[in-house]
Amino acid sequence: MNLVVLSVAGSIGAVCRYFVSGSVQTRHRSDFPIGTLMVNLAGSFGLGLVVGYGALESTLTLALIGFLGGFTTFSTWMIESLGLRASSPRAVLNLTLSLAGGVLAAGAGLILTN
Amino acid sequence: MDGFGPRRLSTVVTSPRRSPRRPVWVAVAMGGLVGSAARAAVGLMIPGGDGVFPFEVLLVNLLGSFLLGWYISRREQAVSGPGSTQFWAIGVFGSFTTFSAFSVDVVELLRSEMVGEATLYVGSSLFGGLGVALFGRRLGMVLR
Repeated sequence: MNLVVLSVAGSIGAVCRYFVSGSVQTRHRSDFPIGTLMVNLAGSFGLGLVVGYGALESTLTLALIGFLGGFTTFSTWMIESLGLRASSPRAVLNLTLSLAGGVLAAGAGLILTN
Repeated sequence: MDGFGPRRLSTVVTSPRRSPRRPVWVAVAMGGLVGSAARAAVGLMIPGGDGVFPFEVLLVNLLGSFLLGWYISRREQAVSGPGSTQFWAIGVFGSFTTFSAFSVDVVELLRSEMVGEATLYVGSSLFGGLGVALFGRRLGMVLR
């Protein structure tokens, strides 16, 4: 049952990621991967909220965790950073912004619901 | 000129359809199902494990990054069907890996005052992720 919930929720999360990051990126008009950055920060904040709230046994919580797992992506972040040429300032920016932003967003979410 | 005259109609009927039969997001949804199921098969990976090192998240993130790197280089060399990138890159590997759990894990490790572990986790995720993605891409170029 957990598998089904996580799979379906993750699938929905992936589709949302596709649309949200796609529209953010289109509006941005540069090749800096701001679309991925946005979904990753938002998803980190969201998971912080969920984990901070607790109730980790409930199916809804599992669905939210699964959704956010599909909504965010680590692999795309890596590939897009390499695409900016790993040593370039923009790649470093993408890496540090995502890392710091993600941790801060997750922390904020945790604090808010804890 | 009538757009529905016989000449135009024959062009519409015989020329290949430019848009896929299915919307592209369906490919993302299907890939997302596969990737999420695969990740769930590895483990539930619910953060906040009270000082447990997040090996499972690290595993899926490194494996997913490697596979995506490999896929990207294969895609560059060969023509794939429409929706292939959406299915594999955005759907499967995008969902198999997770950034949200990674971020929360870092915070939880820091909250448990496991700064060394947090540093190791970030370092291995970041440099490991870049390294295996690059390696996957190289491998995809070399292996046919």
